[in-house]
Amino acid sequence: MSGATRRTSKNRRSVQGSKTALYWMSAPALALYAFLFLFPVLSNFRYALMKWDGIDEGEFVGLANFKKLATDDDLATKVLGNNIEFMFWVVIFQTTLALLFATYLVKNSRASLFFRTLFFFPTILSSVSVAMIWLFLYDPNYGAINTTLIRLGLDSFALNWLGSETSALYAIIFVQVWFHTGQMMVIYIAGLQQIPAELYEAANVDGASRWQQFKSVTWPMALPTSAVVVAYTTIQSFRAFDLVYATTQGGPNNTTSILTTMIFQTAFNEFRFGYAASQSIIMIIMIFLITGLQRRILRTRY
Amino acid sequence: MKTKGTKSFSMGRLGAVAAVAFALVATTVPSAFSAGEVFGKSCTTEGVSTGTSSSSLICAPGANGKLTWARVRLGSAYGAPVAALTAGAGSIEFHHWRGAEDGKIFDEIIALFEARNPGAKIKQVTMPSGDYTNLAFSRIRSNPKAAVYATFRGAQFAQFAKGDMMTDLKNERFTKQNVIATGLTAGQYEGKQLGIPLHYLFNNPVYNTEIFAKEKWTPPTNFTGLLAWCKAARTAGYTPIAWSGGFRPNAGQMLNSMLMNSAPDYATLKQRIEDIDTGKADLQTAWFKDMAGRYKKMADANCFPDNATGVTDAAALNLFATGKSPVLPTGSFSMGAVKVLNPSMTGKMQLFSLITTDEKPQYVGIQNNTFILSVNKNSSGRDQKIARSFISFLMTGEIASIYANGTSQHVNVLNVTYTNQDLINTSIWQSKKTLLAPRFLWLNQGVRDLMEDSLIAIVGGKPIDATLEDYSKQIKQKLG
Repeated sequence: MSGATRRTSKNRRSVQGSKTALYWMSAPALALYAFLFLFPVLSNFRYALMKWDGIDEGEFVGLANFKKLATDDDLATKVLGNNIEFMFWVVIFQTTLALLFATYLVKNSRASLFFRTLFFFPTILSSVSVAMIWLFLYDPNYGAINTTLIRLGLDSFALNWLGSETSALYAIIFVQVWFHTGQMMVIYIAGLQQIPAELYEAANVDGASRWQQFKSVTWPMALPTSAVVVAYTTIQSFRAFDLVYATTQGGPNNTTSILTTMIFQTAFNEFRFGYAASQSIIMIIMIFLITGLQRRILRTRY
Repeated sequence: MKTKGTKSFSMGRLGAVAAVAFALVATTVPSAFSAGEVFGKSCTTEGVSTGTSSSSLICAPGANGKLTWARVRLGSAYGAPVAALTAGAGSIEFHHWRGAEDGKIFDEIIALFEARNPGAKIKQVTMPSGDYTNLAFSRIRSNPKAAVYATFRGAQFAQFAKGDMMTDLKNERFTKQNVIATGLTAGQYEGKQLGIPLHYLFNNPVYNTEIFAKEKWTPPTNFTGLLAWCKAARTAGYTPIAWSGGFRPNAGQMLNSMLMNSAPDYATLKQRIEDIDTGKADLQTAWFKDMAGRYKKMADANCFPDNATGVTDAAALNLFATGKSPVLPTGSFSMGAVKVLNPSMTGKMQLFSLITTDEKPQYVGIQNNTFILSVNKNSSGRDQKIARSFISFLMTGEIASIYANGTSQHVNVLNVTYTNQDLINTSIWQSKKTLLAPRFLWLNQGVRDLMEDSLIAIVGGKPIDATLEDYSKQIKQKLG
C-alpha cells in the first residue's frame, strides 16, 4: 500500500470518526428535544383518540372526538369562526400599519428613532398589563374612551366595548394590533434597509412618484419580509390567548373565544383533556393550512 | 366482663362529661352568667351577643321561632381546643389563590410558625383565583413540595379528592377540637376529612350602612320591595347594585342569593342543580326560567349598572368603595378589598339579604365554608408533617384571630376573638338562617360557566326563551 493510499484511508477514518463524534455531541440536545417537544406532541395525538379527564385511566374512543368536533359542537364552530375573523383583521391591519410606519421611519434620523421607540414600546409590556390598561380604557361607564366621546358630543359612538357581542371581538382586535404593530414594524425596517439605494436613485431618475416607487420597488422587494410578517402575525393571532383571557375570558357569549382559550377551557376548566387534544390538533392543522396558503400567494409574487 | 363494662362506662361517660364541661365553660365565659344571658334561655333583642369570640352567646331565633341565647360556637369537640402540632425541619410550599388579599398576613403567620418551629420553612405560592381554579390541580399534582394547599368548595375540591391528592385529617385532634363542626362538611369526601375549610364567609351582598342611613332606607325584605328600592336608589342618583356582569366569577356570586329561596327545601334545590349539572334537565326547566325572569325584572328595574355586561370586577368594587353604589353583590370576602380602596369604609358595611320572593323567605342569607386546607398525599412524610403542623397552627384561636382580623374574614375556628369592626358587625349572620352556598353544587365547571353566561346575557337584554334554549343546546353538546 502506497503512502498516499494510506493517508487517504486514514483521512476517511478520521472524517468518519469526526462524524460519529458530531452525532454524539448533538445527542444530548436531540434527547432533550425529543423529551420536551416530540414526546408531548406525539402524546397529544394519542390523547386525541381518548376520553380522558386527566385523572383516571383514559378510554380509547378512536376518532370520536374529531367526529364530535366536526358534527356536534356549535361552540367549536363559532370559536373557529371567531379565530379566523380575528386573524383576518389582525393580519390586514397589523401588516399594513407596520409597513406604513416602516416606510416612513426607515431612515436613521433622530425623529425616526423616536417614533420607532414609541411604536415599539407596547411590545415590551406584558400582555396582562396591556389587558389591564385597555380594560380601564374600555370601561363603558367611566373609561377614558367613552368619557372622551361623550364630552365631544359623540354619545352614539360610546359603546359597551367589551360587554357587547357586536363590538367585543373588534375591541380586542384593536388592542392586538396596537400591541404588536411596533414589533412587525421593526422586522419591516430591517427588510427595507436591505433594499439597494440604487433602485430608488434609478426610479428617481426615471421620474417615478413616491407611490410608484413604493409600488414598483419597495413592495416587490419587501415581499420576502412580508411573508415572514404575515406568517408570524397569523401564528400570533392563533396564540393571542393571554390577551383574550385577561380581558374577556372569551365572553360575552363566547364571541371573543379563540381556539387557544377554548382548548384551555376544555382541558383545565372542564377536564376533558382528550377532547382538548383533538381541538389542539385541529388548530395546528389550521395554522399549517393558512400559513401555507399565505406563503403560496406571496411566493407567486416574488 | 365487669372490667370491660367499667372501662366502657369510663370511656363513654368520661367523654360525655368532658364534652358537657367544655361546652359549659366555652359558652359561659366570660360574661354570660353575670349579665343574665344563659344558653337556651329566652332573650329579647335579636343579634345581641355576649362577646366577640366564637364561643360567645348570641340572641337568635330558635327552632320554635322564639328568641333564645344560642351558641355562636357550633363545635362537636370532645375536649378543649388543642395546641398546634410540632413541625420538623424542612421546607414546603403553601399554594393558594389569595396572594393579593391575604399574602401579607400569611407572611406574618408563617414568620410566627417558623419562629416556633425552628428549621421549618414555608414558602407561599399564589395565583389569582381564576388561574388557580384552572391550573392548581396540574401544578400541585406534579409538585410534591406543595405539601399544603387550599381548594375551593365544590368542583375543585372534588377534583383533588378524586385525584387522590389529599391525606385524611379525620383523626387529628385539631380537626375534632378546634374547628366548628358544621364547617367541616365542605372538606369531606367519601367518609374522609380531606380538608379543613378555614373560611366561614357569607356570599351575601354587602351594603353601605352610611348611605342607607343617610337616605333613610332599610334593606328590602321581599322581591317587590327590592325592585322598588332599586328604582328609588336610581332616582336618588346611585347605581343600586354594583354587579360586575363583565367578570363571570364575581357576577356569579349573586346567583347564590337568587337560588336561595327558589326551591321548597334544600334537598329539592340540590336535586334540581344536579339535574342541570348532569344533563337530566336543561335551563328551560320552569324553575330556572323563573329565576332567569327575576334577573330580567331586576335589570328592568335598573338594579344593575348601565352597560352591566361590560362592568369588570375592579369597576364594580370602585363603584361601591367610592359610594356611587350602595350594594356590592359579592360577599363578606370583599370587605377587605373595599377598605384597601377606601379605608373610611371601615365599620360602615353590613350584609344585605337579597330576597327574591314575595313569600316568607326560608333563608335570609348565604354562608360558605371554603379555602379548604389540605395536606398533599404525594409529599414526603417529613413535608406532610410540616404541612399538618401548619394547618393545626392556623386552626388555633390565637393564629386564626390574627388571620381573621387582618383579612376581614370570619373563620371556622373555635375561640377566635374578632376585633375587626366589620367582622363584629357581621358576626350576627352566624346566627341567622343561612343556606350553604348553592352555586358550588355545580360540579361541572363548564356547565356552570354556560349557565351563568346565560343569566349575564339575559341581564344584557337578550330574550329569556331564546337565550335559555341556546345555552341549553350548548350545555347538551358539552355533556354529550
